[in-house]
Amino acid sequence: MRCEDIKKSFPDYLVGELEKSAADAIQTHIADCAACRQELEDMSAVWTKLGVLPEEHPSNGLRERFYRNLEEYKAEMNREKPLHHLKQFFASLFYRFRSGRPAYQWVLGFIPLFIGLILGYIMFSKGQDTDLRREIQEMRQMLAVSLLDQRSPTERLRGVNLSYGLKNPDNRTIEALLDTLNNDPSVNVRLAAVDALYLFYNSPQVREGIIQSLTRQDSPILQVALVDLLVSVQERQALESFKKLMAANKLDPKVKQKLEQGIKELSY
Amino acid sequence: MSPKNQGTNDVNTYSDNKLMEDVKEGKVEKMAVLFEKHHVPLFNFFMRLTGNRNISEDLVQDVFMRMLKYRTTYQGRSKFTLWMYQIGRNAHIDYLRKKKDELPLDEQWSDPITQEASPEEKLEGGQDAQLLRQALAKLPLKKREVLILSRYQNLKYKEIAELMDCHIGTVKAHVHRAIKELGKIYFELQGGTVS
Repeated sequence: MRCEDIKKSFPDYLVGELEKSAADAIQTHIADCAACRQELEDMSAVWTKLGVLPEEHPSNGLRERFYRNLEEYKAEMNREKPLHHLKQFFASLFYRFRSGRPAYQWVLGFIPLFIGLILGYIMFSKGQDTDLRREIQEMRQMLAVSLLDQRSPTERLRGVNLSYGLKNPDNRTIEALLDTLNNDPSVNVRLAAVDALYLFYNSPQVREGIIQSLTRQDSPILQVALVDLLVSVQERQALESFKKLMAANKLDPKVKQKLEQGIKELSY
Repeated sequence: MSPKNQGTNDVNTYSDNKLMEDVKEGKVEKMAVLFEKHHVPLFNFFMRLTGNRNISEDLVQDVFMRMLKYRTTYQGRSKFTLWMYQIGRNAHIDYLRKKKDELPLDEQWSDPITQEASPEEKLEGGQDAQLLRQALAKLPLKKREVLILSRYQNLKYKEIAELMDCHIGTVKAHVHRAIKELGKIYFELQGGTVS
């Protein structure tokens, strides 16, 4: 093979994405061609050298600024579209009642709660009372916990989704979310619970619950999601759970790989 | 295809794309999960492009705000991270354009990057890392970008080609030339060997 053709494969060689036959072709060529051998050695040296740059971490100010901006964005959205939201809400409620399915009859019990939420929502969007804001938060929590207890996975998913918007949820809500994470029969609902708990990770109860949950999960997708979460928050307390899971029988190879990376990163 | 049957990367992609679809539909609080997952790699992308912490933090902030602003334009066909880096590249180009407008003419063509040693480097006297940063700063922007995206951000050449809207062969050629040029600059800065 000509030098020019061989050199075209060097970038793939560096990232280890060559098929064995192509890698063998390079090895055969450079055994006889000193110029290509030298070029590949130089390139490999630079590629390896690039690894000396450490991973940088931004200041806490970045996170604070992001959450502040996100809150402002949400507030702006709410100011712009309160009527649209109400319309959607009533349309959905009307549809459910019209369907006459007994499974939705429980909604009847929540009508006063919904009305309270709507009123609170309107007044809150006009920038009024902090007491009202607290009441809305409490009502949302109650509704989230109730929905998490429903038979239908769709309703439970709605319960998890509702919890996303909470600020500093109370113990009961966190317990319900952790219970969903550990015991819900639906993988999708459990995955949604991981996302919700991610947002409340500053709570010690959440932190402890997530670490304990890792070894209780049997679904690889859940295991990967939890390992990702724990690594992204640099949770060194999770190392023991990582090692325990590594020792488990019939561990999915992808999870094992993820755990190995996680252990390496947290031990650094 | 069931998510259970996908590989780890696919699981992450599935999860990211699903989260962004939710954000697109109005559940904007889920952007917080994407922020927690991706702000550090994105910060490192900008650190390696600009060499400046404050600018990199501003750019990360800008990218997440742009993703919120343009959330309805998100198409779940390709990976979320590709979309994020696409917005990141645009934010960086806008920053360079703005900076150029603000600078007096005689300063516009000076070294574009303020090089800073990280606290770890200062402690360990990481001369290698410092030299490498200086060498990276001297690479032309496009070469620097492809090198950073392939070496640090773990994007495949095919993905970088999609991101830059060019042929995969062009990306590989850029990587090839970027590494050779970087080696040469590093060699000159070091006054020694590249090993």
